[in-house]
Parts: sequence; structure tokens; C-alpha cells
Amino acid sequence: MAEPLIVARDLARHYVLGGETVRALDGVTFSIDRGEWVAIIGQSGSGKSTLMNLVGCLDTPTSGTYSLAGSDVRGLPDDALADLRNREIGFVFQTFQLLPRASALANVELPLVYRGVSRRERRLRAEEALASVGLANRMHHRPNELSGGQRQRVAVARALVGDPSLLLADEPTGNLDSTTGEEIIRLFGELHDRGHTILLVTHEPRLAARCPRAIRLSDGRIVGDGPGSEVASTGAARAVRA
Amino acid sequence: MSALRRRIVRAWAEGLESVRIALLSLAGARLRSFLTTLGIVIGVMTVIAIVAIIQGLNASFEGQMSNLGAHTIYVSKWKWFTGGDDWWEQRNRRNMGTVELRALEEEALLATAIAPMASQRALVTFRDREIERVVVTGTNPRYLETNGGSVAAGRFLSDTDVELSRNSAVLGADVAQRLFEGMRPEEILGRKVVVNGIPFSVIGIMARRGRMLGLDMDLNALVPVTTLLRDLGSRRSMTIAVASEPGKLEALEDEVTGILRRVRRVPPEKRDDFSLNRQDTVLKLYRQLTGALYGVAVGVGLITLVVGGIGIMNIMLVSVTERTREIGVRRALGARRRTILFQFLVESSVVAATGGAVGTALGLAVAQLVALLTPLAAAVTPSAVVLGLVFSALVGLVFGSWPAWRAAQLDPVEALRYE
Repeated sequence: MAEPLIVARDLARHYVLGGETVRALDGVTFSIDRGEWVAIIGQSGSGKSTLMNLVGCLDTPTSGTYSLAGSDVRGLPDDALADLRNREIGFVFQTFQLLPRASALANVELPLVYRGVSRRERRLRAEEALASVGLANRMHHRPNELSGGQRQRVAVARALVGDPSLLLADEPTGNLDSTTGEEIIRLFGELHDRGHTILLVTHEPRLAARCPRAIRLSDGRIVGDGPGSEVASTGAARAVRA
Repeated sequence: MSALRRRIVRAWAEGLESVRIALLSLAGARLRSFLTTLGIVIGVMTVIAIVAIIQGLNASFEGQMSNLGAHTIYVSKWKWFTGGDDWWEQRNRRNMGTVELRALEEEALLATAIAPMASQRALVTFRDREIERVVVTGTNPRYLETNGGSVAAGRFLSDTDVELSRNSAVLGADVAQRLFEGMRPEEILGRKVVVNGIPFSVIGIMARRGRMLGLDMDLNALVPVTTLLRDLGSRRSMTIAVASEPGKLEALEDEVTGILRRVRRVPPEKRDDFSLNRQDTVLKLYRQLTGALYGVAVGVGLITLVVGGIGIMNIMLVSVTERTREIGVRRALGARRRTILFQFLVESSVVAATGGAVGTALGLAVAQLVALLTPLAAAVTPSAVVLGLVFSALVGLVFGSWPAWRAAQLDPVEALRYE
């Protein structure tokens, strides 16, 4: 296969809190190929949020290297990081994070606004994205007129609209009931089948078990990496994939 | 698609988005928006009202100034608009009289017209009607040239009227109207009115001239100067109006000064014991007055706009805090720092400009109200409106910059986590 989409080498992120250094992420090495569906699993405080921020180019590592789609993020200026996020990453958040006063369509168009896509093309692509998550008939509704599941679908459409390399989902079912959550997971399954690369951050072993591959974090280190069902159920340390 | 085009499309879309968000948040929190923009509204309202009134004054003043001849020197022992020590000095000057008038008429070659103006307040009656404190001015036929104005009915004074000291009178429009209420002009002509006990026959009625500096210019009567001096016994100093050709005013002044110094026997080392007054004198004084008023308006406006600006800054800081997570999301989706900065700047400008628009409307309303209730006029120029809007938007920009900068400096990770 071609070069991996994500290559992380000895990735570390330390915070200084009250004069004490917190090693939120303490040297992790992994790579993710295009088309993979990977879960990052771990208890709260295991470093999975920190890892997600680094992978999502929202934050930069204290040490180690991280490259996304061939570009090393180290030393990139803030604007370049913003452009990289816009181009390569589609975020799906636990609490949906839609703009409350904008219609579903306007929400989905937003990443394209920041990319400078013309109005007509924005509209077209946003409509396409909404249709692909089954919301063709809800485009002009505002978030508060939509159910939780529908809101998360809008968020997924927003993540997809820019045709990013990576879909980065942070506890996407955390605020949904189990039935709706199941729908969203099934949606991710479909996206995976269509060839999207998905990174799912979760603390639920049940979810991770559904993913072809899972990486378990504990205390800022990778303690497991392998097929989702195994890593999720055992939680045992396994050999880190080379 | 070229990079430039992309940037333009992006900036345009972001701009529209920001304006939309700003208007939505204005509409969404009406009470808050109202209170926020109140400072701007009041500030702009005050300035617009004052400016409208000043401009109204200017317009009516210019109209009034045309009542004074632009090329006329008003020779008098009094200098216009003086007070204090000067007043005493001028009071003790010798009166201006027929001697000076004769001398000027004979020797002032640059003058195109010379008319005396000897005035006296008098009681004017017709049958049982009477008007007090009518300004009765003794003059000659050149008055129309030096002072402007025209006759609406009948004729003006003639040289014969002056030579024979006839008891003829040309009435101001208001005097005619009030004494002969309901009568047509041709019925009025030839009637006898009584001025301070002396009968005069009405030979003409002046066209309406309006008000000037609060004086009613139509509450007057014009009679031959000789008659006035003889019958009404005026010992007061007269003013001599001397008209020049356009552009020769300075030369005429020199000439008149020379003649008067000789006639009044002013020793060479002494200062003039008379004054040459011009329309400019009034204009200058007026400009000083309105200049001061403008200064006050600007001062008041600046202070209230600063107060309004602080209100805007306050609400923008609140808005930034409230929307911290939104900022995080936008940053995650690819908004650069300056995109966020721009968005909040647009928002604060729109909020402020909306306040400015309301303030402008209210200011114009206040000006109209003042115009209705007082003798002050009000005029609205588009420049005042544009100024109000631009200024308030600028206030939004200036006072919104710190909150916007804070919004732009937010760390995306922190912002997304913000509860």
C-alpha cells in the first residue's frame, strides 16, 4: 500500500500544571493507512483526547513527529494548521457543535466558506452531503428543530462536505440514546465501506469492538493495538503493530 | 479557480456570514441589543440633531444675509456687535448726520448708491388699530439699491418726496397687514396713517423680507429722511449705507474713510471716530457662534460615542465568552485567527451602525421637533446622515477590536472544551 495517511512517531504532549509536568501523551508511535477504521479507546485521563487534538491538528506535540497526508505538522504556523484542518480533517463532536442560528445547510456549508468555494458550488456540495446522510428533507431546519440523531447526521455531513482525508469522531454517540447511537455507528460503517478513513475516539469497549482496528491508551501510552474485538474485550497489552 | 478569486469568495462569504450573525444576534436578544446600542443611539442622535439645527440656522441665516447688501458699507458711529469699553468710546462719538451724508454724496466717486438710514421706534395707528415700536426709517430712493428689497404695491419714495419733506410712507409688509387687515393693497394706498401723532399717507407697501437675527424685517415703515428729521425730531445718529461696485469695496472704504475723517475733522494721529460696517462683520460673528456650537456638538458627540463604544465593547466581550465553543468549532473547521477577528469586528460594527442608524433617525426627528416648536430651523443634509452611520460603525470597529482580538487568540482546544 501507499504511504500511510497518519504517521506518529514518539509523539508526546506535556502540560505544565501548577509547576508540575503532566505527561498527557508520553511517546506513542503508530500509523494509520487510508481507508482504515480505527478506534482509540481508553479511560478518561488516558490521553485519548490529547491524541485526538494532535491528530486533528488542533494542537502541536511537545516532542516527536506527526505527519498527516504527507505533511509534517511540526513548526507549521497557525494559519497553515487551520488550512490543514479545513482540507484534511472532518470533525464530529460528542455534542454535535452545530451553529444554533444557522440552518442545517448553512452549517454544512461552513467548511467550504473557509475554503473559498463559490456560493453555488457550496450549496450543491452541502446538499449532496446532507443527502448522503439521509437528511435531504431537513436541509432548511435549524438544529433545535432536529432530533439528536439528526443533529449528529448534520455534523457528519459537515465533516464530509470538504472531502477530507480523515474523519475524526470524538465520542459521537456519547449524547445519543442507544438506538440513535447505533444508527450513527451504522452510518460510520457505511462511510468506511465507501472508503473513508475514520478515527473514532471513545471510552466504550462495545463501540471499539465494532471497529476493524482499535488502539488502547493508558496513562499516555499505547497498551494495545489490534483488531477491535480483541483490544476492546481484553484490554490487555499486545504487541504494538510495527 | 485562482488563489485570488478564492480569497475574494472566501472574504465575501465570511463577511456576509458575519453580518447575518450580527443581525441575528441583534434580533435574538432585543432588550440586550437595545441597551447595548443605547449609548450609540443617544450619541448619534445628539450630534445629528445639533448638526441639523446648525445647518438649518446656516440656511436661514444665508437667506437673511441677503437682506444686507453684500457690497454695501454701513457707515455709523457704532461698530456692530461691540460692548464694554468700546461701547462707551463709541457712545461719545459725534453723531453721524446730514453733513456727512452730503459730503459722501458729493465726493465718494466709487459709490454706486448712497442712502441715509435714520431710525426711530414709533407708534403707528390707523383708525382704532395701532402698532407699537414700529421701526420708522428715514431714507432716500437709493435705499432699494443699498439694502435690497422691493416694492410689492404702489411706489417707493422719490427724490421729490425727500426734497419737499413730504409726509409719505412706504409700509413694511407686516405693518400693512396688521393695520389694514383684510384690505387689498390698492385700497390701502393713499390712506392716512398716524406716526407718533403725525399723519402720513401710504404710497407703497414693501415686499415681505422675513426675519433676520430674530428681528422682524417687515415691521417697519420707510419715510423721507428729511421728513423724519423734521417731524419726528430724531436726534439719533444715522447710518449711511454706501453701495460699491462688486470688487471695489476695499477702495470704496478707503475713499469713504478719507472723506469722513476730513469732514469730521479727525486729527491725523487720532483713530477714526466712526465705523465702517459690512455684511462680513455679521458673518464673522455668526461663524464664531456656530463654530462654538459645532465644538460643543463634537465634544458631546465624542463623549457619548465613547460611552456607547464601551457598551459595545462590554457586550462583545460577553458575546465572545458566550460563543467560546462556537469559536472553537469554527477554528476546528478551518477558520484562521484573522477570520475570527474579522467576524467579530464585522459584528461589532454592524451592531454599532444599527445603533447609529436608529440614532440618526431619532436625531432628525428631534431636529424636526425643534424646528416645529421653536423659531430655529432645521435642515438635513445627506452628509450628516452618512457621517452618523460611518462614525458609529467606526466606534464599533474601534471598541470591538479588543474583544475580537481576544476571540482570535483563543486556543482551539481550550475553546472546544469550554463549558
